[in-house]
Order: sequence, then C-alpha cells, then structure tokens
Amino acid sequence: MSEKYPCKVHFEPELEGASLVAGWDEDAGRLGARVIDYLNEKLGCKEFAEIDPADFFPLGGVSVDDNVAQFPESKFYCCPGKNLLIFKSNIPRTEWYKFLDSVLYVAERYCHAKELYTVGGMVYLGAHTTPRDLLAIANSPDMKAILNQYDLARDIDYESAPGQRPTLNSFLLWVARRRNIAAASLWVPIPFYLVASKDPRAWKKTLEFLDRRFVLGLDFSDIDADTARQNEKIAHIRMHSPEVDGYIQRLESNQTLAQEEYEKLAMEVEGFLRE
Amino acid sequence: MGIRLYKEPEMEKPVLIASWPGIGNIGLIAVDTLRGALMAEEFGEIEPWDFFYPKKVIIRNGELRELEFPASKFYFVKTEGADLIFFIGEEQPAEGGKPYAEGEKAYMMANLVLDVAVKFGCQRVYTSGAAVSPIHHTARPRVWAVPNTERLVDELRRYENTVLMSDIEERGGQGSITGLNGLLLGVARRRGMEAICVMGEIPVYLQGLPFPYPKASKSVVEVLTSALGVSVDMEGIATLVEKSEGEIDKLYEVFPPEIKEQIDKLKSVAHAEQAEPGPITDEDKKRILEDIDKFFKKEPGDDQS
Repeated sequence: MSEKYPCKVHFEPELEGASLVAGWDEDAGRLGARVIDYLNEKLGCKEFAEIDPADFFPLGGVSVDDNVAQFPESKFYCCPGKNLLIFKSNIPRTEWYKFLDSVLYVAERYCHAKELYTVGGMVYLGAHTTPRDLLAIANSPDMKAILNQYDLARDIDYESAPGQRPTLNSFLLWVARRRNIAAASLWVPIPFYLVASKDPRAWKKTLEFLDRRFVLGLDFSDIDADTARQNEKIAHIRMHSPEVDGYIQRLESNQTLAQEEYEKLAMEVEGFLRE
Repeated sequence: MGIRLYKEPEMEKPVLIASWPGIGNIGLIAVDTLRGALMAEEFGEIEPWDFFYPKKVIIRNGELRELEFPASKFYFVKTEGADLIFFIGEEQPAEGGKPYAEGEKAYMMANLVLDVAVKFGCQRVYTSGAAVSPIHHTARPRVWAVPNTERLVDELRRYENTVLMSDIEERGGQGSITGLNGLLLGVARRRGMEAICVMGEIPVYLQGLPFPYPKASKSVVEVLTSALGVSVDMEGIATLVEKSEGEIDKLYEVFPPEIKEQIDKLKSVAHAEQAEPGPITDEDKKRILEDIDKFFKKEPGDDQS
C-alpha cells in the first residue's frame, strides 16, 4: 500500500476551526458539483490541495464527455474571510475508506476543521412545482443540536434494503464520527425529470442553508432568474403537449404514474430542456 | 488495517478452516455448517473498512446510527479430534467489480488470516470452494483436493470420495483456484504452513446461477469431518440439500427439451479415469454450456472456484 494520505498541498490556508463543505461530481442533478461550483465562484475560493487519483480510480485511460477527455479530480478550496473550505471530487472507485480518511486528514491537519457538511441530490418522483425540502442526517447528537436551529427535515428513519449499498456521504459521515468531527449530509429531492438536466431550485435550497449557517451574504438573483427560465420552458412543453401536462398535473395532485409514464415524461422534458 | 481479538483462547496446534463466498457458496456453506454444528465461539475479526464498502446503513430520527460492513470473523472450538479455528469471510475484497479477490488487498487479507493462525500455533490450513464439473445434478459430488505441498498427496489419496487434479479426466494434475480460497494456499506455502483446498463438485450448468449448491457442501463436510476426526449432526445440511434439489428439479423442468437432452447426457458420466474415453465429447460439453448460457442470456464463465 502506498502512503497513508496521498495528498498534495499547494499552500496552507489560514483557517481555524473551519467548516468543510463536500460534494461529488456525480449525483442526482449534479447538485453537489453545482453547489460547490457556485460557492467557489461567488466566494472567490482558491484551490489549495488535492488528492492524488492513483490509489482511488482505475487509470487505464480517460473517459470522454462532451468531446473532451476527462480525468478524475479531487480538489480542496479555501474561501478567504469565510473560514470555509470546500471539497469537490469524482466518486472514488476503490479504497473508499483511505480516500475519505484522506479528505478529513487534509481538513483537520491544514484547516483545523470541526464540522463537515456534504451536499447532494436524490431522485424524487414528484412534480417540479412542489416546494423543495432540505433533508439532513447528522452523525452525532452535537450536530443534531446544530441542525435543530434550522428549518430542515431532520427526523428521517431509513434502513438500506438488502443488496442496496449506503451512499458515499453516509460512509463519510461515519469516518468523520471516528475522527470526532461533527458532520451532516444534506439532501434535496430532485424531480426525476430534472435529474439529467438541472434543478436550480434545489441548488438554492441547499445554498440558503449554507448562507445562513456561515453568513456568506450570497445573492440568489441569478439562480432565481435561472429558475424562472426553466419554469417558462416547462410551461411551454405543457402547453404544447397535453400528455406531458396530464402527467405533471397528476403528480401535482399527488398521484403516481405507471412506469412507462414516468419514463415518457422524463424523456420528453429532458429532450426539450437539452435543446 | 488490523485484527481485533476479543479473547485469546488456549489452543494446541489448532487447524484453521477458512472460506469466502464463491461459486454456489459451496465452501462457505460447508465451513459455516461445521462451525455451527461444533458451536465454535467467535473470538475475533479483521477490521473491515480498509477492505470493503459498507453493506448497510441505519438512520434513526435523522441520525446515522450504524454503518455495517461485510464481516470477516474468527471462531474457535476445542474438539476431541483437534482444536479448530474457523475463519469466515462474508465477502472477498474484490476490486473493480470482479467477483474474486486478487492483488494487494487479497494478499493482505490472506496474510492477516494466517497471522491469527500462526499466533495460536496453527500448522495446517484447509480452505474450501467449488469445482465446476461435467456431472449431472443427480450425481453425488466428489471433492477435488489440492495441497500446497507434495508431502500431502498420499494423505489426500486416502480421503473418501476425494480426487486429486491428476485424477480428473483431461486435467493431468493442472488447474487453478481463483480468489482467496486458492490464494490462501499459496500464502500459507510461502509461510511454511501446510494447506489443502477441498472443492465440492458443482454441475457445469449450475455454476452461474444465483443460488447455492449445498449438495456439494455436504460432500465437503463429510471429507473435512473425517480428516479432522470430528463428527457433526448432518441433519441441517441434509435439509438444505433436499430444499435445493427441489428448486433445481423445478428449474430443470422449465428447460427447453434440447437443453434437457444435453444435460441428461451427463447422467452417464461416471467420473472417467484419465485417458479413458469419456461418455460425452468436448463438443457435447461445449454445446451444453452454450445452450445453458443462451437460456440464461449470460456469457460462459470461468471453470473453477
């Protein structure tokens, strides 16, 4: 086995008792990545460290996405004046414990991190007009007490079904608990027909919490404009396709659809939003 | 990355019997049957998080309560025949979606298992797996035995219902044992320990199915109990065999007639000696596998545990 924490630190940020926000590049609606990118851009965060991919990803070549060769990245950013560090990564394919332990090692060793929040999206079989909820799972009573101060859905009971593996965020919460770091995973249910495109309302829901928690002073007018544009587009599809409108109306009335109807609605909306 | 022992029992030259999941879970069921029948007591485990992704999460009232990993546990029991250590791995530390462990992680786990064995003075190791064989499911499975040293060959020849690789038609003493059930033999050899892998025969057409084949496990238990000088109640595994045979008979009934015809040719296989002409040809074997694979819409698999 190679070194215990295969990390490269470019410079040591001046953070004390910082909070870590972590997101993965692959989740429903790419919510984690979009929230992280938004924070990085708005807060002017700077990359200060990365995890070497060799131990964690199969490096037998590269994948190509949108005509461009991709390569796994696992990067840390620090936000000047906000006592916040951010981690964004592709999901490791192997050596998960070593990878997650390395993430927390960098956060503790170089930023003295005391708290961790993971952000992610989950698929929701409802309509896009339904208000977004922010669900939170804590790894300790201490974090539960922190979350109690916010308007979150935090009384979740869940047990993974046989054969269904826990999420990487659950694994990260568990590793954080071993390191005595208070942690929470934040989830926004994303309507299934927006999962392949984007759901700016879900980003906003997550960012509103982070804005309040860390007093970031974010201005969400750009996200609101994005939401309005998406709503207009979906209204346009509904106007021109009675079938799509019928499916969405049934979801708005809390009815379920048949499997093929779910698939058809997702295909129609995704296709239109991609154009 | 380590071993956690809850107690350190006194043992005299214990024998280690280890198994991980494999084809038909033949070895795992055999070893677990022995462990249960002899009421072996859990005394340690290999810490799982360096080897495995968690298998289950439990969240209560918005708080992460538990994250469960595949278990890798040690048990011990003192019997009239010998002191025994059992090791049962719930999963092989496989990487990249492969079904069996290989490489650095597998080597590490094999060494951790043997570290515990050596600590208690163990000199003999048994592992168990499956031997994919051109037999019919109504036949009594034999046990293929592979030692890690020539010294053990004569001993294995005396085991009942057991064959060496050189006894298997067309093999001429050659073969391979994939995954940890095989690797442990090599690592044991490197560390100067005797080791034997006992593999119960599974019909070639059942190898890829997602259910166990306890009939072969029963053959393995019979060999192990005799080798270890212990006796166990076989009622539990006999019940498993009966249930499994009922399921296989039901499956056999839904096979198309042409596949049944091919499978039934295997009824005449009477474990031919090497160099003796077999009752079915290579072409027949190939056709059976292809037909079964087509039936289940899967690719032909490997031919060993």
